[in-house]
Amino acid sequence: MAPDELLARLSSTLRHDIGPAVVEPFPKTQAFMASVVLEKLSAQIRLAPAHAEAEAADLAARAADLPALLGTAPVPAAVAAAADRLAAGEGSPALSALVGALWAEREALGSERFEAVLGRARTTMRARIDRQMEYAA
Amino acid sequence: MSGGQRNDGAAVMEERIAAYLRDQLEAPDLALSGVERIAVGWSHETWLFDATFTRHGATRTEGYCLRRDPGNALLREMSDLGTQFRVLQCLEPTAVPAPRGYFFEDDPAVLDAPFLVMERVPGVCPSPWGRDGRRFYEEAAARGELPRSFTDALVTLHTLDWEGAGLGFLGVPEAGTGFALGEVAKWKRLIESTGVEPDPILVDLIGWLEANAPATERRSLVHGAYRTGNFLCHEDRVSALLDWETEVIGDPMYDVAYVLSDLNREGTELLSNLVERDEFISRYEAGTGIEIDMEACNYYQVLYGMRSAAFWMSASGLYADGRNTDLRLARTAWSIPVVLDRAARDLGY
Repeated sequence: MAPDELLARLSSTLRHDIGPAVVEPFPKTQAFMASVVLEKLSAQIRLAPAHAEAEAADLAARAADLPALLGTAPVPAAVAAAADRLAAGEGSPALSALVGALWAEREALGSERFEAVLGRARTTMRARIDRQMEYAA
Repeated sequence: MSGGQRNDGAAVMEERIAAYLRDQLEAPDLALSGVERIAVGWSHETWLFDATFTRHGATRTEGYCLRRDPGNALLREMSDLGTQFRVLQCLEPTAVPAPRGYFFEDDPAVLDAPFLVMERVPGVCPSPWGRDGRRFYEEAAARGELPRSFTDALVTLHTLDWEGAGLGFLGVPEAGTGFALGEVAKWKRLIESTGVEPDPILVDLIGWLEANAPATERRSLVHGAYRTGNFLCHEDRVSALLDWETEVIGDPMYDVAYVLSDLNREGTELLSNLVERDEFISRYEAGTGIEIDMEACNYYQVLYGMRSAAFWMSASGLYADGRNTDLRLARTAWSIPVVLDRAARDLGY
């Protein structure tokens, strides 16, 4: 049995067999919560390979977009450093760094560049959270 | 514990609580009954019980609520029981419905951790998220009295002379953007304390909040989590506001925004699954004389997204680190994407 299937089965047992048999309120709540945790973990594990692939592709596309969006005007050092991290494949921490740098340097960037780069980053973030919601919601 | 097999830990705790109260109340015959650790509250353990003892030749029974800080619970870094006890003491002579605080003990020798003992106020506090709780509030909404009391209690809170009540010790924000930025900084500290790299959406959210903080000179005692589930109801009235863990002196719109948000509606049109929006707004404005600032409320609703993310990062971290074994905290790891999804929508994506 695949790990995600096993976790789903454990979740079901807790929800339908063990939880209802527990009398005391606190342990009963704990049994139910264990069921919920296992259910979500099962879905997360099942979706992980596809999500990792999609995320890597999205972030690579963002890294490729950035030079054109930032243009030829001087780029604040923090933004440039975050862009380099993204290009180096550092994943979502690099995206966080980029977004933080954009907000911190928005005056230096100017509203047009700020909006353009943040808007593109938000497209990536939207796709990312949509994937997470497949197992978290 | 009620309704099932007792465990040794609960029995030991009961005896230690009884010994403490015998000393405090100078009642050597004091005995506890109905001792129950309730499965509500995320930040402290909550125990309910009756104490029966002789006073002036007569036997009396009084209800108590004990909250203990296990040192490993949600908001441990943000709120301590000593502060909560002081708030309850300040509120006692006021019209704000709150339990009387009886004792605060920070000597770990007594119950291994700080705790406070307060009045067990008559009333019930159904969870707004369970089936029974939803039905409770829906039925109360239909009767009409509890929705009015819900609004009136908030009016009482926001019109309180907090300086006169001695609550200035909570800290008074500077006029202007001081309150909003102070709250952003507070929850940012909690996020940083988790040691977890914040999600890009959370970083975006914080950037937006810092850039758009509303300026205000309004200051009230703010509860910080004003909703069903955080107050006791007795005979269709709010008998006591509970969970004084996020209280702060600040913009009353912070509470109003929480009430107006759809965070706690449980799929209904009613605010907090209890009160109609128009009725709440008109009654609140008439009672306080404060015109609701919708722009500020919209900002605070976005801020609640950040706060929720901070809560859940902290909560799930406590379980992940092995500091707390409550599985409700483990489950909150999957609440983080849910609040970030909502935050992204608030920001327009």
